[in-house]
This record gives sequence, C-alpha cells and structure tokens, in this order.
Amino acid sequence: MSHGHSNPIHHPEVQMASRRNYLTGFVIASLLMFAATWLVSAQALAPFGLLLAIMGCAGFAVIAQVYFLLHIDISEHNIWNTVALVMFIPLFVITIGLTWWMFSQLYLRTMPMIPGMPGMH
Amino acid sequence: MHSEETVDPSQVILWSDDYEGHDPISTRTFGFWMYVLSDGMLFATLFAAYGVLSYSHSYYTGPTPAQFVAPWYTFIQTMALFLSVLAYGFAMTALKNGNKAGVINAIIAAMVLGGVFIGLDIHDVLRMIRIGATPETSGGLSAFYALTQVHAAHIFVGLLWMLVMLYQILRQGFSEDVVGRLLSLRMFWQFQAVMWVFIYVFVYLWGYMS
Amino acid sequence: MLVNVPGPWSPLLGRLALSEIPYKNLILAPLFVVIVLVAIALIAGITYYGKWRYLWKEWFTTVDHKKLGIMYIILGLVMLFRGFIDGLMIRTQQALAVGPGNNGMKAMGAIHGYLTPFHFGQIYSAHGLIMILLAATPLLVGIMNIIVPLQIGARDMAYPYLNALGFWITAAAVFLIMISLFVGDFSHNGWFGYAPIFEMAYSPGVGVDYWIWTLELIALGTTLGSINFLATVVKMRAPGMTWGRLPVFTWSAVTANIIALTSFPCLQVALALVAADRYLGTHFFTAGFGGNLMLYTNLFWLWGHPEVYFVIIPAFGMLSEIIPAFSEKPIFGYTAMVLATFAIGGVSWIVWLHHFFTMGMGPYVSTEFSIATMLVGIPTGVKVFNWAATMYRGRLSFSAAMTWAIGALFLLLIGGLSGMMLSIPAINYMVHNSVFVVAHFHMMLLCIVYAVFGAVIFWFPKIYGFKLNEAWAKIMFWLFSGGTFLVFFPMFMLGFMGETRRLDWPFNPQWAPWFDVQEVGIFVYVLSVLAFVWMLYVSIRDRSQNRVHSADAWGTSRSLEWLTDTPVPFYNFAMVPHINARDEVAWRREHGFLESNPDHFKAIHMPNNTPMALYIGATTFVLGFALTWRIWWLSIAALVLSVLLMIFRSNRGDPGYVISAREMEELDRESKAHMQEKPALPLPQGGFAGGTATAYSPLPHNNSPSGGTPPSSGQAL
Repeated sequence: MSHGHSNPIHHPEVQMASRRNYLTGFVIASLLMFAATWLVSAQALAPFGLLLAIMGCAGFAVIAQVYFLLHIDISEHNIWNTVALVMFIPLFVITIGLTWWMFSQLYLRTMPMIPGMPGMH
Repeated sequence: MHSEETVDPSQVILWSDDYEGHDPISTRTFGFWMYVLSDGMLFATLFAAYGVLSYSHSYYTGPTPAQFVAPWYTFIQTMALFLSVLAYGFAMTALKNGNKAGVINAIIAAMVLGGVFIGLDIHDVLRMIRIGATPETSGGLSAFYALTQVHAAHIFVGLLWMLVMLYQILRQGFSEDVVGRLLSLRMFWQFQAVMWVFIYVFVYLWGYMS
Repeated sequence: MLVNVPGPWSPLLGRLALSEIPYKNLILAPLFVVIVLVAIALIAGITYYGKWRYLWKEWFTTVDHKKLGIMYIILGLVMLFRGFIDGLMIRTQQALAVGPGNNGMKAMGAIHGYLTPFHFGQIYSAHGLIMILLAATPLLVGIMNIIVPLQIGARDMAYPYLNALGFWITAAAVFLIMISLFVGDFSHNGWFGYAPIFEMAYSPGVGVDYWIWTLELIALGTTLGSINFLATVVKMRAPGMTWGRLPVFTWSAVTANIIALTSFPCLQVALALVAADRYLGTHFFTAGFGGNLMLYTNLFWLWGHPEVYFVIIPAFGMLSEIIPAFSEKPIFGYTAMVLATFAIGGVSWIVWLHHFFTMGMGPYVSTEFSIATMLVGIPTGVKVFNWAATMYRGRLSFSAAMTWAIGALFLLLIGGLSGMMLSIPAINYMVHNSVFVVAHFHMMLLCIVYAVFGAVIFWFPKIYGFKLNEAWAKIMFWLFSGGTFLVFFPMFMLGFMGETRRLDWPFNPQWAPWFDVQEVGIFVYVLSVLAFVWMLYVSIRDRSQNRVHSADAWGTSRSLEWLTDTPVPFYNFAMVPHINARDEVAWRREHGFLESNPDHFKAIHMPNNTPMALYIGATTFVLGFALTWRIWWLSIAALVLSVLLMIFRSNRGDPGYVISAREMEELDRESKAHMQEKPALPLPQGGFAGGTATAYSPLPHNNSPSGGTPPSSGQAL
C-alpha cells in the first residue's frame, strides 16, 4: 500500500526529526520551569509580578515546545497542522477566557467577597 | 471566469492519473493532529472548570492547594515527563536512520521515565488523601483532581501505546503503518508535555502561591 | 470513593433487578410486546430469505462511506420517528391535561392527563435528546458521509475503518437510549439536564446515568466522524479541486465538522464531570461544598450552541446545492456564501451564554453575548439573500426537492427573526424558559428537517438509481407544513401567554383552545408520516419507471457527485476526474464533455471490510449499559475488551485489495451498461418537467456570464 514512498522511513515527516531541535526544546522548557518553580517557592516577587513571571515562563516554554518538538511551522509538510492549531487557539482562549469572565462577574454579584480580593483564591 | 475562454477539447484534462498517489502517512498524522487538538479542547474545558472552581469559597472548609502542593516534588515529575518526551524524540531521530535497536531502546527509556511520572503522581495522590485532601472534600479539589488525573490517564494511555508499538516494531519492522503510528505517538506524547506545562504552572504553582 | 446507591445492589447484576422492568406500565408493556413481535418477524424474514450472509457481508462489516451513510440515514429516520411519537405523546398529554380540573386517567395513575409527571418528564427529555443528537445529527452525518467524498472526487473517506467505528458507536448510543424504554427509566431532567437535579441526591434512579452514557457515546462517535471529514476534505481532494472550487455543501461540511471537532470535547467533559459527581461523589455541580451548578449549564452550552450550528450549517449547504440545481443557475455569490458559512461557524463560539441570560452575571457579560448573538443574523442574512438572488431570474422548476428547500427558507426566516428577538436580554428575560423559545428552536430544527427531506429527495436517485415519487413527496410536504403551522404558531402564542416549558399539567383554561389546535396539528403530522411511508412504497413499487439512465439525474445539477454513474459504484469513480471548474458537471455539460469517458484505467486500492468496528461498537454499548447499572465487573471487562480489540486490529492492519486496471475497465463497462439499460416504456429523460435538458447547448457559449448559466438568461441580463 505504499503510494510513491517505497520506504516509509524516507517520508519527509520522519526525516524532519532533529536531535538538536529536541534538545533545544527540552533545555528551554526545563530551564523555564526551573525558573518558575524557584520564583514561586522562594516568593521572589510580589504576587502580581510573580503571576506575570510564571505566566511568561509557561508561555515561552509552550512556544518552545510547539516549535522545536511539534514542528509547528509553515513548511510544506506541516502547514496544515499549523493552520489547524492557529484555528484552535482562539477557541481555547474563548472557552477559558469567557467562562472565567462570566463567572467572575457572577461571583462579584452573588458571592460574599472581601473587597480588593483578586479573582482567584 | 472559465467559460469566457474558448476551451480546446484536446487540451482539457478530464481524468486524473495521479490521484492514487495520496500520501497515507501524512493523511494519518494530520487526522491524528486534529484529534490531539480536540484533546486540547478537552483540557481547555477542564481549565475553564478549574478556573471557576478555584475561588476561595470553592474549597469549602477543606484544604487549598497552598496547603498541599509541593512545588519541588512536582518539578521532579515535570523533569521526568520532559526527559521521557526527549527520549521519545531520540527514538524519532533513530527512526530517521532506520536504526531499529536505537528506536526500541529510546522507546523503552521513554516508557521508564513515563512510568516514573505516573509513580510520582500516584505517590502524590496518596499523600494528599492521607492529609485529607480528597476529591470529595470540595468543588475546588474535585476540579484539581480532574485536571491532574485526566492528564495522568493520558500518560497511562501513552505508555500502553508505546508497549503496543514495541511489539509492532518487533513483529513488522518499519512498515508504513508502524511508521505512521510512531509519528502520531510522537505528537501525542509531546502534546502531553505541552499540557503539563499549563497544568504545572497554572494549577500547581499558581495554586501554591495563592 | 464510590457513591453508595440507594436501593439494592449486587456485585453480579449491579442495580439491575426484575422490578426495574416496567411490565405493569400500560404504554410500555404493550409497546415491548409489539417491538418483540416486530423483531421476531424481522429475524424470521431475514432467515427465511437467507439474507443474513448478505447483511453481514455487505452492510454490517462494510467500510464503504455510501453504505455507512445509508445506515446513518436509516438510523436517523428511525429515531426521527421515535422522537415524533414522543412529540405526539407530549402534545396529547397537554391537550388532555389542560385546565384546572382533576382530569387524569386513573388507570395510568395520572392526576392530570394520561401520564404521570415522572413519565412525562422522561418523554420530554428523550424527545429533545433524540431529535437533536440521534435524529438530526445522524441524518446530516449520513448525508455528508455519502456526498462529501463524491463531491471532492475521493474514493472513500480518509479513514474508512474509523468511519465504520463512528457509525457503530452512534448505533450503540441509539441502542442504549432505546433499551432505557424497557429496562429502568430515562432521565426526567430535560434533554440538557439541570444542575443540581441530576445529582444522586435528587435523581437516585438510573435515568440520568442512561442520559450521561448515551450522550458520551454519541459525542465520541461524532468526534471520530468529524476528524474523518476534515482529513478527507484536506487530504483526499481530486487533482484540480482547489479550495475555490469546492462545492458549497462540502464547504458547509468542513465548517460543521470544525465546529463538531472543537465543541464535542466540551460536552464530553461536562458529562464526565456529572458522572464523577454521581459515581465518585465529587462536588463539581452540587449546590454546596464549593460546587457551582451554573458551571454545568455553562459547560453544556459551551458545546450546545456550537452544536446547533453543527446541525444547521450542513442544512444550509444542502439548500445551496438544491436551489441552484432547480434554478438552473450557479449559486449567487459563492465567495460570500463560503465566508458567511465560516462566519456563522466562528460566531457560534461566542454566543453560548444566551441560553442562560438570566443567570445573573450582570450587564457587561449580557451585552457581549447579546451583540454576538445579533451578529449571527448578518451572515445568515447574506445566505438568505444569496439563495433568493440565485432564484432571481432563474429557470425555476418546482420539483419536490425544491419545494422542501423553499419551505426551509420560510422557516429559517421565522426562526431567525424570533431568534433576533430572543437575542435581546430584555425580551429574553420575559420569555425565558417559555414555549416561545421552544417554538423558536423548533422553527430552526424544522428548517433542518425540511432541508434534509429536500436533500434526500435530491440525492436519492444518485444512490439508488431511481427517483422518489414527486407527487407524494409534495403531498407530504404540504401535510408536513400544515402540521408545522398548526403546532408551532399556537406555541408562539402560548409562549407570550406565559406557558413555560415541560408542563405536564398546563393549568390555565384559557390555553385550552391553542392546545386543541396543536393537537389537530400533530395529527396532520401523523398524516405526513403516513404520506412519507406511502411515498417510499410507491417509489419502490414503480422504480422501473422512475429509473435514472444518466449520471446526472436531474439534468441541471452542477457539482461533481453527478459525474459518476447512477447508482454510484462502490469505487465511486472509475477514473478520478480532473477538476477544471467550480461547478464541474455544469462546466462539462456546457462544454460538451459530459459524455466523454476515460480512455484508460488505472489499478486502484480499496480497503477490506471488517467486523471489528461492529465489535468495538458492541463493547461500547455494553460499557454504557454496565456503567448505567453499576455492574463494575462488566464495565471493566467491556473496556478491556474494547482496548484489546483495538490493539488486535492495529496489529493486524488492513492490507486492502487492489483492483487491476483491466478489472476496472470491465467494472466500468458493466456499471455504464447497467445505468443506460432502457426500460420497456419510453419515458422523458434528462431532468424534471420543463425541458431542462435543452437549456444548455453542447457548444461553449462565450456570451454567458459565468459557470453554467443558461444562455438565454445570460443574454437577458
């Protein structure tokens, strides 16, 4: 059932594996996670700054993983995967963001809350 | 538009000779990638639920994550998962050269590291149950368990899949089906690491700091 | 960890006991006898005619997208009938029970009408769930399954085996909800469920569990199907079938399946969390213990609103195929049409809160969702105007399919305008949970049903090689429309008069006349069901006269599915066509290529049939049933068995089989000969009454403005 590719190992999606990319992704993600863990356990920043810092760590770690590990780029063999991901990302944001917004507004009106308290906890 | 130009019947191609050359490996991996993304939606929904159920009143009178999360312990779990994903990446580079022993060894390494992740997770759950942080305690803890244990279930499925792949590599070698499945498993496994970054930072670390 | 259930439980049978079988119920017990008798008759008939082998080889184990599509449609029609009977029972109950008095039928134990409130609640819930998820969805998925690969020139779906798996899991869901009739109860909480009534404390029976696992199975089946559709359209298009040439129906299938792929996980999560609450004692949706009951409503409609567009968008696609074919014009504004479809799909994701405006989240959130909901009207309006402009100055033939399509436009208008009213929070607060809302969404869902009937009539000859009886299809249309008018216009009125949903006892005597009108309407619907059955009978009886002898059944159709032989052979296209234009068949007709056949053939590769999908579907049914009744050993066994079956299938793989070029040539010759075989009676050929076959000259016309516009109208413009 081989159509065109006599040996499946020569398929471009196999050949795009790269030891260097995988190592880079691993190192970047690990360092960022280490930094986030250290920041949190040492309480190195004020709460709001800390939150922004660990969010940044998560964001960059995910971008590194998606780019270096999952091969999400605009090359010919990955373009459809990239298109699908780009289509999904707004939906992830909508699902989580609008739900959180909706319920924070609901809680604001229905739950006894200490004034000035941040949304979570 | 097409009808405005004169069509020369001798020039028109009506039947195609090259359709049968569709690429089954890319078709398989593209479909699997869409499954993976819908799996991402599943996690997104769980995150939405966790967001709604992680207010202070969501924990009722039970413990909050600040009381039971151990950041460095979970960091070790994170490293086990990242290393497992890296090992699976090396399986892919070995596959590129058709190195069967290399693929098998790297997958076994990925399985061992994944097993470490699961073991650490089970140990952590048992510890939490001992201190009274069970899923039945409060809505907040239910959401905490849902998110973390659904991820653990994915890891378990991945390990099972790796076992099946080892068998298939030994039985069939690198056939088209096996190679396509190895590529799909790569996406699945790496995606679990991506999801873990979100869970680790937004559930464990954020929970710990607040 | 596990929640203790009230009542008896045994390790072997779980909660299952003889007392759970409602053999004393005056409706269910006779129904059970009838169904058993029908089943025995069916089994005996199949055995007598020796058809088991045929059924097993050609249908149960098939991976052919057309046969799976037909099975989806049969499943959908059966469930449409079941849902309709539920609707009939609801209407009759309300018509009997209306008024202040104690007018119940004592024999049934009812205080009002003939149904107890608990039984009525189950019927109400089953009606909604079945109509949306087990009737509309399989019907649309079935039609997409048949038509999408044909429209893009593919031999099959991208993953034929997955297609079969999706079907059998859907069938398992159908069996699960049907068995809930006779073993235990069904949920009485409405089709979308209310928190916290579905919690164990308030619904200790198995009804809610049936509801959970039915929905989980259908969600799983539909997700698998949507992956398959998207991969098919992205990866399997024939050469030359660029995105700009994709037929509008395929575009709508793409949009709908993007919606399904992205939204069904939300449903799976929402129900898995309900299951966790009921089985494991967690507190996601409880009123106390830090749970949030509105979270359930939120997660459900997070799926629920995209889902309603998942069902309406393929219906729009069907209208976009039927209307051009019977207007003899290309679709007006192709690009606008596609963009509008995507716009509806996109907006569907940011409107879900309008299902619970009254939650109390304040004006900012309401405003966002209100405006987003109003935005839906813009692309939908674009579509309606495009259809109208397609018909404008076209050569219309009011065939049965076209009649249904035009009927769908009227319903879309009424449903859409009432939807615009509901998008305004101030009005929504007034009519929230009233039957005005029910009437609104029935208009939309009936728009889908109209489109589906149109599509079935339109594409039927492609699959079976003969047309359905036009006269009876139109009689059915008028009866159905009469029923729609008589049932749902009073419902709009009753909504304004304050009738809320799910009333087993409408207490207000002033409503009585409207209920009587509705009862008349539902019996007009009964007549239309009879007309449908009669239409099928007459069409099959006279099939030799209604045979279609050309690839293009209507003589005016436009897209690629009409290029291959009628009925479609199992390999779809002997040679895959090379696509040269947007409406390929219209283009070939216009340029005189319609009769040209390939001069050489190539070997093709086809997948083998497999019973594995059926087996896995059966294990999912057992899993759902065992979880419902809390038979833990059986649940684990079914789960392990299904995983083992998947691994077994994966290890074995499917080498498929090859049809050589020589065999292909032979098959093609046979298929063409079969198609062109003339009947004894000379019959008018090529399209519907109106001489459509002569509308096109076989020579290219340089003066026609576009695609396949008839030359005459082209000059008039």
